[in-house]
Amino acid sequence: MAIEIPKSLAELPTTEPRFVGRGMRRVEDAALLTGRVQFIDDLVLPRMLHAAILRSPLAHGRITNVDTSRAEALDGVVAVVTGEDARRWSYPAQSSPDGWGVHCIAGDKVHFVGEPVAAVAASNRRVAEDALELIEVEYDALEPVADPFEAMKSDSPRVLDAQESNVMMDRTFTWGDVDGAFSQAPHVFREKFRWNRLGANPTETFGCISQWDPMALDLTIHGSIQSPGMFGLGRSASFGLPSNKVNIISQPHGGSFGGKGGTRGCDISCLLSRKAAGRPVKWIEDRGEYLLSGGSQAWDRHYDVSLAVDANGIVTGLKVILVDDLGATGEGYGAISAAKPLAAFTGPYTIPVAQYDLKLVATNKLPCGPYRGMGPPPHFFVLEQMMDIAARTLGEDPAEFRRKNFIPADQFPYTIPSGNEYDSGNYDEVLNQVLALADYEALRADQVRARAEGRLVGIGVASAIEPGVFDWNAYAIVGMPGTGVPEGATVSIDVLGMATVRVGFSLEGQGQYTLVSQLVADYFGYEPEAVRVVQLDTQSAPPSFGPGGSRLGVAITGAVLGACVRIREKMSRVVAVLMQTEPENIELMDGKFLLKGAPGAEMTVAEVAGTMLARSDLLPPDIDPRPEATHVWTAPGRTPADEEGRAKSYLTAAHAVHIVQVEIDRDTGMVEIQRYCLADDCGTRLNPDTVEGQTEGSVVQGIGAALLEEYVYDADAQPLCTSFMDYLLPTVFDAPKIEMVAVVTPSPFTPLGAKGCGEGAMHTTPAAVMCAINDALAPLGTAAREVPASPNRIWKLLDDARGGAHSSSA
Amino acid sequence: MTASPPSLKIRMKVNGDSYESEIDPRMNLADYLREELALTATHVGCEHGVCGICNVLVDGRTVRSCLMLAAQADGREIRTVEGLAEGGKLHPIQEAFIEEHGLQCGFCTGGFMMAICEMLERNPSPSEEEIKDVVGGQICRCTGYNSILRAVNSAVSKMSASRP
Repeated sequence: MAIEIPKSLAELPTTEPRFVGRGMRRVEDAALLTGRVQFIDDLVLPRMLHAAILRSPLAHGRITNVDTSRAEALDGVVAVVTGEDARRWSYPAQSSPDGWGVHCIAGDKVHFVGEPVAAVAASNRRVAEDALELIEVEYDALEPVADPFEAMKSDSPRVLDAQESNVMMDRTFTWGDVDGAFSQAPHVFREKFRWNRLGANPTETFGCISQWDPMALDLTIHGSIQSPGMFGLGRSASFGLPSNKVNIISQPHGGSFGGKGGTRGCDISCLLSRKAAGRPVKWIEDRGEYLLSGGSQAWDRHYDVSLAVDANGIVTGLKVILVDDLGATGEGYGAISAAKPLAAFTGPYTIPVAQYDLKLVATNKLPCGPYRGMGPPPHFFVLEQMMDIAARTLGEDPAEFRRKNFIPADQFPYTIPSGNEYDSGNYDEVLNQVLALADYEALRADQVRARAEGRLVGIGVASAIEPGVFDWNAYAIVGMPGTGVPEGATVSIDVLGMATVRVGFSLEGQGQYTLVSQLVADYFGYEPEAVRVVQLDTQSAPPSFGPGGSRLGVAITGAVLGACVRIREKMSRVVAVLMQTEPENIELMDGKFLLKGAPGAEMTVAEVAGTMLARSDLLPPDIDPRPEATHVWTAPGRTPADEEGRAKSYLTAAHAVHIVQVEIDRDTGMVEIQRYCLADDCGTRLNPDTVEGQTEGSVVQGIGAALLEEYVYDADAQPLCTSFMDYLLPTVFDAPKIEMVAVVTPSPFTPLGAKGCGEGAMHTTPAAVMCAINDALAPLGTAAREVPASPNRIWKLLDDARGGAHSSSA
Repeated sequence: MTASPPSLKIRMKVNGDSYESEIDPRMNLADYLREELALTATHVGCEHGVCGICNVLVDGRTVRSCLMLAAQADGREIRTVEGLAEGGKLHPIQEAFIEEHGLQCGFCTGGFMMAICEMLERNPSPSEEEIKDVVGGQICRCTGYNSILRAVNSAVSKMSASRP
């Protein structure tokens, strides 16, 4: 029987939702605040060993000898592994594109600084690190390549011996008559941009405890793992094990933002456990390791972008050439980040044709991984700069220029040239709301006065789409197979009527356990405290991907409500039997099953559950007596990608417009954010407090991207940012007060009309801040085309503009 | 090869309880609390003194427990997150963080709470600038800090309301 999941709050079986759609105290907080949540490094297993990893100091080199004998002799050392063990017992990492993975420990050659070359398991971490100092590795240094344009040349040093060049992929995707659009356009704008490497840096690094069972030949892994199911499949591929021989227990973890990584360290701890005869081996990545060689780095991009605009200021074509420096291998799935812009290539605009010339290049840097937004944030940074360049040149206001290019509200669902379908939106209204919130006209009037005083004040208006509820098909062009990402939940009601929900993902910070309890509470008339959320390991849980791609809020709502609907149907049959009627005459409302048209004839959910569990003898034999159901939700209507990568991929398209006012200090190049306003529309807001929290956090990460965060490498591919003294994260002093307003256009395709919103403002903030900076710089005839817009970069622009010493000496 | 590590006897009070241990002299205070005393509410974020997540109070002053050797804490009084809630009742700072959604993943929150605790014990009505100064000593990657500032302001009112 098809399951009808409520499409709006009004369809919930309650007179008025008391919890869904409202903010509330999070059910997870008390345990987090008292230190009773067990993060991975808090967990101790019997006979557990501690791992430490020896890493390459060279970006590129041949390993000529590894001598571990002195380390093995150190008291407390139980196992030492090298590249030889990795080749004997494991396979090269899965990669995207295919064939760009290497073993978890380097064998003949190191490909980037920080690549593991050996590892130790010992009685404690201090002894393990002592042992690393006793391992002798001899290298023959090879010439490294740090620049992707050099790496593409035929005479460049080759990063991977097994590949014939450093070009992982070089393909142009054309959607529509792009040449025609550009040849006919009266205005064509072209500009180059640079987005430097940055990354997630959750406050907790990756960690795991791995245990190889030498008798059962299986693996059990506890860890701070964002996507346990996916991670388990990866480990089964690494070790050639059947997928049901790998069990992942994901601990609650201290954030991820896509950048938890950890696959190499986990595989190494598995090898160590195997060599240590099956003792559990804990590996906790330290911050230095995370910054140097963890899941820390993403989006190292060189853009060349063209925009065609007609005589009325309507954008008629977009061409993007991207050279994406993915680092040494494809193991971190950085390629996905280059593919994801297909889900929203033309942003919120009606641009009818587009082209993507995509070059994925290997260099001797850390392999790129995912980060919040997974690729579109740099894409929208360049698209929004182009929109401003066009508006400024044509003498149009940036807000109104965007408005006339917006997809109109009556055009949804709307298919963009790169194939995805946007579900719904009201972009005009979002713009109206933020213009009013910011008092845009007054801001512009202030700017005129400030400029007259010689101050560099700028206002940025930027608009972007947040693709929500990811699907693998969005990444088909970089070799990710498949369509459909299921999420399941099991809802059980016990003999006293209390509810337990079993899920397959762990606490990460977005408040999903609270959301689960809100949903069940409103569906069955409970208080949220009466709903317990339990996380299961991957061999016990219903199918689960977990958080990622702005999907879990929508997906878990579908799974939980689907399970609730199934229980309601089962219970309605039970009540019908007991009341000697047909199930169609039974209705659930506010926690009671009512016999229609017979006031007073009712049973509470607890009474029905108690009857089912205690008196199944009263029930017809074809009724399953458990007041329990599992539902597995998958986004409906997704399609496989065609040859040009076009697919219905991400199910929802949230939208936002941000308005930022900045002032630049002429003497220092420092950028101060003076005002931050935004309006966003992510459909039904299931928990507005949580949405607001995600938005505030994402804005500040976006400010970090625009102004602070950068992994610098020197010309020999040596990383220069290996501590928080070099890699600058935003602090409270970088975080402006954020004013926000919500527009709600429910999705027609999702449970309760909610849209993915977890990645959020990161899509818009870097673009908005850069638009504001360039608005401030415009009177000087200069512009910032590189992020982060750090003080040194801005100062150089200012100095060049005044013909200063910097430019004359350069 | 043998490496019989030297050991050192230390005594300290943690959250009012007395402890005496033989430790490896190079062990830092964070590892001592977490590994020897199993007080794992003190989390470690960077191990180089920048992020502030491992903040504890040593004789009433905020200290990065990753930068202090356990031996240096010999004879001192330590307070950690485990000591905030008393008798099953949350500390007003904890209450304030829940009400204002001052946490998301919760990994860094203990460090903030200890530093804020020190500030409010010294100065029950701090200025906005003083609050920012204390919050500015630490990194949170989830919240964007706005809600942490709201939580501190809420804690200030709660604590002043509960004073006689």
